[in-house]
Amino acid sequence: MKIRLPEIRHNQLGFEALIGIYSKTEECLFDDIEIDMSSTGWFDADMCAAFGAILYKLSDRINTVDLANIPQAVTRILSKNGFLSNYGREKLPDTFGTTIPYMRFDAKDDRYFAGYIEDEFVQRSEMPRMSRGLLKKFRESVFEIFSNAVIHSQTKLGIFSCGQYFPKRNRLDFAVADLGIGIRKNVLDNAGLDLRADEAIEWATDGQNTTRRGRIPGGLGLKLLREFISLNGGRIQIVSDSGYWALEEGQVITSEMKYTFPGTMVSIEIDTADKRSYKLSSEISEKDIF
Amino acid sequence: MKKNVTLSIFEIVGSPLCVASDDGQKVYDRIASALKEDRSVTVSFHNVSSVTSAFLNAAIGQLYGTFSEDKIRSRLKVKDIQPDDLALLKRVVVTAKQYFKDPKRFDKAVQATIEDGGDARKR
Repeated sequence: MKIRLPEIRHNQLGFEALIGIYSKTEECLFDDIEIDMSSTGWFDADMCAAFGAILYKLSDRINTVDLANIPQAVTRILSKNGFLSNYGREKLPDTFGTTIPYMRFDAKDDRYFAGYIEDEFVQRSEMPRMSRGLLKKFRESVFEIFSNAVIHSQTKLGIFSCGQYFPKRNRLDFAVADLGIGIRKNVLDNAGLDLRADEAIEWATDGQNTTRRGRIPGGLGLKLLREFISLNGGRIQIVSDSGYWALEEGQVITSEMKYTFPGTMVSIEIDTADKRSYKLSSEISEKDIF
Repeated sequence: MKKNVTLSIFEIVGSPLCVASDDGQKVYDRIASALKEDRSVTVSFHNVSSVTSAFLNAAIGQLYGTFSEDKIRSRLKVKDIQPDDLALLKRVVVTAKQYFKDPKRFDKAVQATIEDGGDARKR
């Protein structure tokens, strides 16, 4: 089977193009799948998380995936972040240090993921000089996204992540994708609500809603993320099942997509030049916590 | 009088990055053991650089499914915690109290504790 891939930017069209690959190959088993990238003149590197998750799903069904005719500029960026090392290319050194490498984690790898963020982002001098408060918020946000995948997705095939810093625009993009049950099914199974996929995402990011059951409470991770990104002026995009949900400039956009992503992908973009201190407006006393 | 206990999060987790729910569970187990023995517990966040809601929900939020609010308030203290982490902890506590007010969740939580051999039945 041969599939052509267009330009991939981190927006709804980009997600739809990647999910289209999954839709066309869902039934393939022991097949040879060529992804013709001759028209892929641009590939936002953080989208490797979603792309990698989909290709991993294909290889799990013992299909052989070949990424063919990749334009030179795209080959360079996808080799620098280590993505193409999974598909027979050599890793290139990241001279300007703008990539946070593509990685696959297992669901038990929370600590390993935290170490990856420290080593590949926080400790690297090439990465943006963000205010202390912003850096702390960014780290905690990506940890929250990863924890969310660990706790809710029931993924057996892993969690995929990748990031890219755009120095000229002061933007940092980071994405985490899992191959789990998706938010819609989670909300249906645990909250008993039969919502459309995009409605289910909105439900999960709103108020005190949580799909948690049992001894350990939940329901804060995505809300904290939403609050932080709103203040920062960045963007969140969540793709789960056939739902697309985005928050940008304080506006939420939702839509139902033509195809279905076999899991959940959360992508954030932050303004690295943000100088807010992220300090609290009122102090909370240690004596008034419980 | 029983001796007070101080627990170091950094020592229990073995890292300044407190992000994993499983690590939170280890902290919970120690706090719960001490509270069951009617000891006062001080939890130190000294040298902790990052905490997530997932970690705090497991470490502290789930206490509200096993112990009364009065007991937690009178026996549990935190120290050496950064102001924004304290704010996150406060939200986790508020959310946990609401969570355990939902009878369906509460029943399941107690049931899950009993099935795991915990002592929720002693509440």
